[in-house]
Amino acid sequence: MAVPIFSPVVGWFARLGRAYRLTLEHSGALGLLVWHTIVATVRLRVRFRDVVTQMHIMGIQSLPIVFVTASLAGIVTSQQGGYQLISASPRYVLGTLVVQSIVLELGPLLTAIVLVGRIGARITAELGTMVVSEQIDAFESLGRDPVAILAAPRIIAGIITMPLLVAFADVVGIWAGMLMANFDAEIGPETFLYGARLFWHSWDLFYGLSKAVVFGFVIPVISVHMGFRTRGGAEGVGLQTTQAVMFMILTILILDAMFPPLMLQ
Amino acid sequence: MIRYRNIHKSFDIPVLEGVDLEVETGEMFALFGPSGTGKSVLLKTTLALVIPDRGDVEIDGLSVYYGGPKTLEQVRRKIGFVFQHAALFDSLNVFDNVAMGLPEAELARMPRRDVARRVWDALETVNLEPREILAKIPSELSGGMKKRVGIARAVVGRPEILLWDEPTTGLDPINSAAVERLIKRLSTELEVTSLLVTHDVEGGLSMCDRVAMLYAGSLRFCGTPDEFRNSPDHVVQAFVDRAAAEAALDMALV
Repeated sequence: MAVPIFSPVVGWFARLGRAYRLTLEHSGALGLLVWHTIVATVRLRVRFRDVVTQMHIMGIQSLPIVFVTASLAGIVTSQQGGYQLISASPRYVLGTLVVQSIVLELGPLLTAIVLVGRIGARITAELGTMVVSEQIDAFESLGRDPVAILAAPRIIAGIITMPLLVAFADVVGIWAGMLMANFDAEIGPETFLYGARLFWHSWDLFYGLSKAVVFGFVIPVISVHMGFRTRGGAEGVGLQTTQAVMFMILTILILDAMFPPLMLQ
Repeated sequence: MIRYRNIHKSFDIPVLEGVDLEVETGEMFALFGPSGTGKSVLLKTTLALVIPDRGDVEIDGLSVYYGGPKTLEQVRRKIGFVFQHAALFDSLNVFDNVAMGLPEAELARMPRRDVARRVWDALETVNLEPREILAKIPSELSGGMKKRVGIARAVVGRPEILLWDEPTTGLDPINSAAVERLIKRLSTELEVTSLLVTHDVEGGLSMCDRVAMLYAGSLRFCGTPDEFRNSPDHVVQAFVDRAAAEAALDMALV
C-alpha cells in the first residue's frame, strides 16, 4: 500500500527516472541510426539518384527562402551597425562588422533555422506518415532497408547541401549589407570591402562552413529519428513534428554556443 | 509450416501472453478475436516487424529470432504480407509499387521487360487491368483498387506463405466479398500457406481449413470451422453469436 507522505518524493523520482530513460532511448536510437547510415553508405546500398533528389529538395528548392533570409540579415546588420558605430569608429569598420557577423554567425545559424522549418519538419512529417500508414513496415517486409532508402540519402544530402547553402547565404548577406551601407550610411563598396579585408582570416570561413556541416548533419538525423519514432495517427504525426522542430532548434543553438570555445580560441 | 512458440509482447500493458500456434504447409488458416487482442501484432512477429519480448517464430524450421540476419532475409523472401490499408508507397506509381515486391537482388539483375511482365501478370492475377492503372499513383486509386495492388505486390515475388492483415477492413460488402473470393482463389492457385487475420468471422469460417481465436492475450480456441461454430466455450460462443449478428446487420444495410 502506498504511503501518502512519500508520494511527492516518489513521483519526483519517477519523473526523473522516466526522463533519464527517455534520454537514453533517444541517444541509443540516434547512435544506431548514424551507425546504420554509415554501414549502408560504406556498403554502397544508398542510391545516388535518391541523394541527388534530396539535394535538389534541400538545396535548390531552399534557395529563395535562404536568399530572402540572408538579404534581410545583411540589411539589418548593416543598418544597426551603422547606427551604433558610425559616429565613434572609422567608417570601414562597418564592412568588418557585417562580414564577420554574417560569416561567423548569421549565415550558418539563420540558414540552419530556415532548414529546420523547411526541411526538418517536412522529413519528420513525411516519415511519420509512412510509419503510421505501415509503409515502413512494408519496406521491411519486402526485405528493403528503410535506413538505406529513406534515412541515408537525406543525411548525406544534408551534409553536402548545407555548406553550399551557407556559402550562398554568406555571399547574399554581405552583398545586401554592402548595398545597405551605401544607401543608408553612404559608405561606398571600396571602403566597405577595405574594412572587410582588414580583419579577414581565412579561418573564419572554415569556422562558418564547419558549423554548416555539423548543422547539415544534425537536422536530417534528428528529423529522421523523430519521424521513425512516430506512433498513433495524424495526431501523432503532428505532435512528433512539433517536438522534432523544438529538438532541432535547441540542439542547433547549443551546438552553436559550443563552437566559439572549441574553434575560436 | 509456421510455428509460433511462447510469444510474449507488451506495449506498456501485456498484449500477447505466451501464444503457441502452428499453421501447416498449404493450409488456409484464420485468426479471429476481439479488437486489441494482438492478432495483427502476432502476424507482424512472423516477419520481425514487431519484435516479441519472449518466444520465437519458425518458418519451415528457420528461426526468425535466433537465425541471424541472413535467415531473416530468407524468411522474408518466402512471405508475402498484405497490409490492412495496403501500405502502398505514396511517391511511387503502381508499376514501381508492385515491382518492389520482387526481391532486391532479383530486381537488379532482371531485364526491365521481364520486370514489366511479372508486374503485369501480378496485376492481372488480382483482376486489375494493368494498362489502365500502371502509371497511376496510390492517391488516384479507390480503396478496393489499393487493396488489390497491395495483394499484387505481395504475390509478385511468388511467396510460399501469404499473411493477410484484415484484408477486407474498410471495404463495402460487395468489394469485401470480391476480395474474399480473390483470397480463396489465390491461396488455391498459387498453392501457398495462408494466415488470415480478420474481423469477418463468417468469411473466415467459409474460406479456411482451420481457425483460431485469440482472447485476452492468449489462444482461446484452435480447430476446424465446424468445431468453432459448435464450441461449448461460452467466450467463443458469444463471439460467434455477435459476429453473426453483425453480419446480418451488414446484409440488411446492403
